[in-house]
Amino acid sequence: MQQNEENDNPPLFKSWKGMYWLVLGALIFQIILYYAITRYFE
Amino acid sequence: MSYIDWFVLLGTVVFITVYGIWKTRGTQNIEGYLKGNNSEKWWTICLSIMATQASAITFLSTPGQAYEDGMRFLQFYFGLPIAMVIICVTFIPIYYKLKVYTAYEFLESRFDLKTRSLAAFLFLVQRGLAAGITIYAPAIILSTILGWNINLTNICVGALVIAYTVSGGTKAVSATQKQQMAVMMGGMIIAGIVVVHMLPAQVSFGDAVQVAGEMGKLNLVNFDFSWTDRYNVWSGVTAGLFLFMSYFGTDQSQVARYLSGKSISEIRTGLLFNGLLKIPMQFIILFIGVMVFVFYQFVQPPLYFNKVETDKLANTEQAAQFRELEVKHQQNFQAKSEQVQVMVNALQAGNDTNVETARQSLNSIQEEGKSIRKEVKDLLKKANPNTEARDTDYVFISFVMQYMPVGLIGLLMAVIICAAMSSTSSELNALASTSLIDIYRRSVKKEASEKHYLNMSRLLTFAWGVLAIFFATLASRMENLIQAVNILGSIFYGTILGIFVVAFYFKYVKSNAVFWAAVLAELIVIATYVQTDIGFLWLNPIGCLLVIFFGFMFQVLFGRKLEPVEIGIEKPLKSGK
Repeated sequence: MQQNEENDNPPLFKSWKGMYWLVLGALIFQIILYYAITRYFE
Repeated sequence: MSYIDWFVLLGTVVFITVYGIWKTRGTQNIEGYLKGNNSEKWWTICLSIMATQASAITFLSTPGQAYEDGMRFLQFYFGLPIAMVIICVTFIPIYYKLKVYTAYEFLESRFDLKTRSLAAFLFLVQRGLAAGITIYAPAIILSTILGWNINLTNICVGALVIAYTVSGGTKAVSATQKQQMAVMMGGMIIAGIVVVHMLPAQVSFGDAVQVAGEMGKLNLVNFDFSWTDRYNVWSGVTAGLFLFMSYFGTDQSQVARYLSGKSISEIRTGLLFNGLLKIPMQFIILFIGVMVFVFYQFVQPPLYFNKVETDKLANTEQAAQFRELEVKHQQNFQAKSEQVQVMVNALQAGNDTNVETARQSLNSIQEEGKSIRKEVKDLLKKANPNTEARDTDYVFISFVMQYMPVGLIGLLMAVIICAAMSSTSSELNALASTSLIDIYRRSVKKEASEKHYLNMSRLLTFAWGVLAIFFATLASRMENLIQAVNILGSIFYGTILGIFVVAFYFKYVKSNAVFWAAVLAELIVIATYVQTDIGFLWLNPIGCLLVIFFGFMFQVLFGRKLEPVEIGIEKPLKSGK
């Protein structure tokens, strides 16, 4: 089976930029969340 | 271990091996053997990438690290999602366009044969040694705790991996990694639930989290920068970013996982989901370690978790001092346990003043406990200067063996063996494909039949497997080899990444400039490691940036003409395809 060059559609979003921002946004959200937990117990 | 545990362990491991062989039987061509006929879906790619990265040490050492040092190790992974995005934007379209078998093939297309061969050689040396350590590291711990023969453990784990990797190639690696990942995460989550249920009846899950937080174990994020502190946000998102870009973008053991993808979309999605899931996965494993820590606030832990080492002390002149420390440790635990109970009561009553008082008392008791443990480590060093006085790798496994119910012990042993197998199989597959594509087919035998290359791939996989077992056996005679291989990785990763970054982003820089830049950068990185105390994680960005700098300088000073090249079409591939 050869790689399918036609199929380059991302899931969830219309463009890959949306997926990239989702991943980076999730990272920022987690850093903020974990920072809040850290500060809460400091 | 009981018969039930043995049944669960052997049943799981043998089933996965047989399944891998059966599922991928009848592989007839090199495309199928090395790239799985490009049939993998994104979730297989994602699980395969995660299983490759998660070695047995991940499951043995990470909970122990949380027990000792809290959850700050999580920051090490903050660069990973950014690396996934950069790789998806830059690396994947080019690998995909060139339809390469290995990452290093691209370097000949962009530069020349010597640059490709240099990168492939560095990978083979580094990963060949690391494969041995991937087998050896869990074997030494399991043999210490369970009394297994270490060489026999190395051979058994290695032989199982060789069986299905030789048989089915990359498809067998991916097929078994799905099962292995299910066992690994399923086993760890069940273990986490059991730990929480083993806490005293009056201590709720919320109380346990509060106690962990008050005792400094939920130290997830630290924005203070330090060159020598390995785990803070800045080292995670900078040095970690370089490390993960190099690991996922240029290390064939990972590149092979996603080159088997069905389409560019499946590859990108698999990588991006790895970026979404990796940090939560590490959070879960670290959190289990924290819950083990809370458990040991109510049940007395051993003074030192590697019992074999402390048993050895009984026959030395340090035995009397060790017994004194054990008495001190018991008194310290009783004092701590009382204060923890005071804290739990205060938390349940919502009495902040008493919580603060208990916290202050606990801090000083904990410091005293740390100093007792340090005295034990000093004692161990005194009795045997060659011993590695570090027991964090033994915290989780000794807890499992002592307190986990029958059946679950076998499952958690299977988690560790599966993790060792999943990483090793990817390594053997990548070592074989690089040896075949970048060395054998490129420089030794350019024209041969499909069947010849397929048989050669199988032979190389087998040979690397035997070599890995040999390295694992050799490692038992070298105390600090694990650390040596980790450092070796960081020493070479930066330079290899630098070559790829120049290839992707600095189109004016040509082959001779980048080759000599890489050689010079590598020498400086080695000198930096030898001459300074800088944390070895920083060697990754240093190596990468030096290759870029020298590459550009050499091109400007000695290059004939600054003409940009079009990536992938400068020269035809000379890999005999």
